[in-house]
Amino acid sequence: MKVAVVVQRYGTSINGGAELHARYIAERLARHGEVEVLTTCTTDYVTWRNELPPGVEQVNGVSVRRFPVKHERDPHVFGRRQERVFEQRHSLGDELDWLDAEGPTTPALVDHIARYAGEYAFCLFFSYRYYHAFYGARAAADRAILVPTAERDATIGLSIFHPLFRNVRAVMYNSPEERTMIQAVSGNEAVAGVVVGVGSDVPSNPQPGRFRQKYNVRGPFAVYVGRIDVNKGCKELFDFFEGYLQDPHGKLSLVLIGNSLLPIPQHPRIRHLGFLNDADKFDAMAAADVLFMPSYYESLSMVALEAWALGRPVLANGRCDVLKGQCIRSNAGLYYDNAQEFAETLKAIEQNRWLSGTLGRNGRQFFREHYDWPVIERKYLDMFERVRKAPAAGTVEPLPGWFDRRRQDLPAAEDILARLPTGPVTGHRQSDGRRWA
Amino acid sequence: MPEFNVRSDSVNVEHIMEQIRARIREKRGVDYTEEQIRELAAIKLEKFLDPRGVRSDLLDQFRKAMPAYEPPVLPNYSFESDTLFESHRGIIRFFRKLFHPLLKLFLFNPNPLIRALNIQAQLNTMYAEREAQRESSRRAMDQLYYELIHNLVLELTRTGIEVKNLKMRVESLSSRLEFNERRARALESAVVYKPAEEERPSRPSTPPAFASPQPAPAPPQSQTPAPQAPHPQSGSPPEGPGQRSRRRRRRRGRRGGGSVAAQFGSPGAAPQPAAGATDGSPDARPEAPPAFAAGDSAFASDDRSHATAGPAFAAPDPTAASARSAFASDDHPDASARQAQTGADDGEEDDGPDDDGAPDTGGGEPHGQ
Repeated sequence: MKVAVVVQRYGTSINGGAELHARYIAERLARHGEVEVLTTCTTDYVTWRNELPPGVEQVNGVSVRRFPVKHERDPHVFGRRQERVFEQRHSLGDELDWLDAEGPTTPALVDHIARYAGEYAFCLFFSYRYYHAFYGARAAADRAILVPTAERDATIGLSIFHPLFRNVRAVMYNSPEERTMIQAVSGNEAVAGVVVGVGSDVPSNPQPGRFRQKYNVRGPFAVYVGRIDVNKGCKELFDFFEGYLQDPHGKLSLVLIGNSLLPIPQHPRIRHLGFLNDADKFDAMAAADVLFMPSYYESLSMVALEAWALGRPVLANGRCDVLKGQCIRSNAGLYYDNAQEFAETLKAIEQNRWLSGTLGRNGRQFFREHYDWPVIERKYLDMFERVRKAPAAGTVEPLPGWFDRRRQDLPAAEDILARLPTGPVTGHRQSDGRRWA
Repeated sequence: MPEFNVRSDSVNVEHIMEQIRARIREKRGVDYTEEQIRELAAIKLEKFLDPRGVRSDLLDQFRKAMPAYEPPVLPNYSFESDTLFESHRGIIRFFRKLFHPLLKLFLFNPNPLIRALNIQAQLNTMYAEREAQRESSRRAMDQLYYELIHNLVLELTRTGIEVKNLKMRVESLSSRLEFNERRARALESAVVYKPAEEERPSRPSTPPAFASPQPAPAPPQSQTPAPQAPHPQSGSPPEGPGQRSRRRRRRRGRRGGGSVAAQFGSPGAAPQPAAGATDGSPDARPEAPPAFAAGDSAFASDDRSHATAGPAFAAPDPTAASARSAFASDDHPDASARQAQTGADDGEEDDGPDDDGAPDTGGGEPHGQ
């Protein structure tokens, strides 16, 4: 069995969520069969500039075939087209123009898939929003399995993607919320789907003492891991944490790990350590009392899963349905909607060690049940088997003709997004009776 | 008041969040949204709620909006006896007066007409003055009505806010009542501990040494004050052989063998143990009775600062205790107890998971390394 993993960027130095997800899956599936990664020559997700040579190379024992990007992204053109399709009534042609402007435009990659699709048993397409997934899944629809990594943003409201969700053979969702959203927008209930997510190589014996000694961190602390950015909710986190610092009973400090795009508040109990390697990151998470996850938009928080794997509770932003749903389903984290809830939940975790410990234990159990690598691998292999046994659905819905593409009859993507159901999914159970991951 | 309660090992995050939100609502008084709070904060509520302040300011505004009333100048005329024969030319005026008797003799008598028109002019003037006076008094009454209605609206608003507050307080009290009922039911179903016969003699009935008014005999050569920490042998009744070791075994059992849940206790909810001699440990609290039935006992968990203070309850069956215990966090950590029990937090080098992966839960041992 040969499986193609198609993703926009690939490499050991690339730490983007979907790209890391794809690499982990490729490396794990390589233990069960032949895996070839089809990707681009770029490492920069903003410009899509070709920085790596095209051709085949080996990355951690996995064959990687790279294709050059036809043109870099023009931020002005992309911004203009995005504003049009997100906020105004538009045509299908406008959406296709937006997709071309977004990139990474790699017709050579799509041509390769169309020509050699028969060599692959399955093609796993990561990140529905990009050029390679849209055109690649159409080129190999009879063996396309989509890993959407969809977040609750306006892109999900674009009409060009709705047939994509219906025409693939299977969809590997990251969360029940993602599945609910995609099914609501595209009506793809008939397509095989399973909530899988991704595992993580969490060390079994982290060394929190080593971290404290190395970085001179003393006392109890909360940790944030990830890019320090407004879009990740870090500005709000800083505001809320500064409010918490006013409480004389609060003893926690805040340790920030990751590259910063924001000014860090100057306070003796807020420390920014920059980007750390995986060993130090896991040591830090093991040493922390709680992990903050302030992001508004997530399809799956790998950092939260890693914290749970290490037995640490999570305090998440309740306005992110996925994070809130994960906290509720796992019973391993609390969430907040405003500053008061942030302070109270943090106080609860800090001062009630029994609660903190129980949340951490629940998290560890949740990770073992749903996100341990054997579980993830088994879900993928089962889906392959299920798709292999099921007959192919049929023909791909063709793109409309020239005139239809220019008909200005599509509503703004944000309007469609606003009509989608919201809130975490809490009541469903998997076929084996366990709660959703 | 306990911050929130969590029952059993199977934590329900939604339930905890409900409790946390209820507590926030209780603190805040009224369950406004953030937007509403910002909106309210932008308004000077005191100004609106103080009738005196409101009255003067708003009345001025009203007066500015409505200028003072000035009666309109209505057209009128004056009609006297010679008005009919008036002229700016003297000769014409002379001839009109000259032929006036001829007019009265041969044509008509103008005197009644002159009189009627004269009276009408006087009436016009009188009505105009009266109308101006009436309009002025009506406007003054409008101001009074405005004040009255405005004050009524204010009172109604204030009453509405008070009703809302009271409604929230009633809800809060009813939830507290419900909680207390549940707690009472749980306590009623608990099994009362009865110490074993062999343990009764070993339990000292006298107060602990540090609380005893009897001074310990100081050695004659020493002039230093007595140490604050009580010595295990001072003031305590003599212990039989094996009693201390048994007590230590019990304490060790509670610390290590019991569930996490069983190691937390509520000082307020726990029954006061009989005073006993301390064993010289930094923890000077009297030792709790050796065992309580864990049934449905309500446990109150404390924070890490209280983690090592003597457990109020000890569950002989760790699984049962952890599965059915309720915990309540302590709102006010005791810093000195923390220092004494767990070591300075700043000195901790390791807060990592235990062997079983669970975070350190205190229970009398410094969490670390």
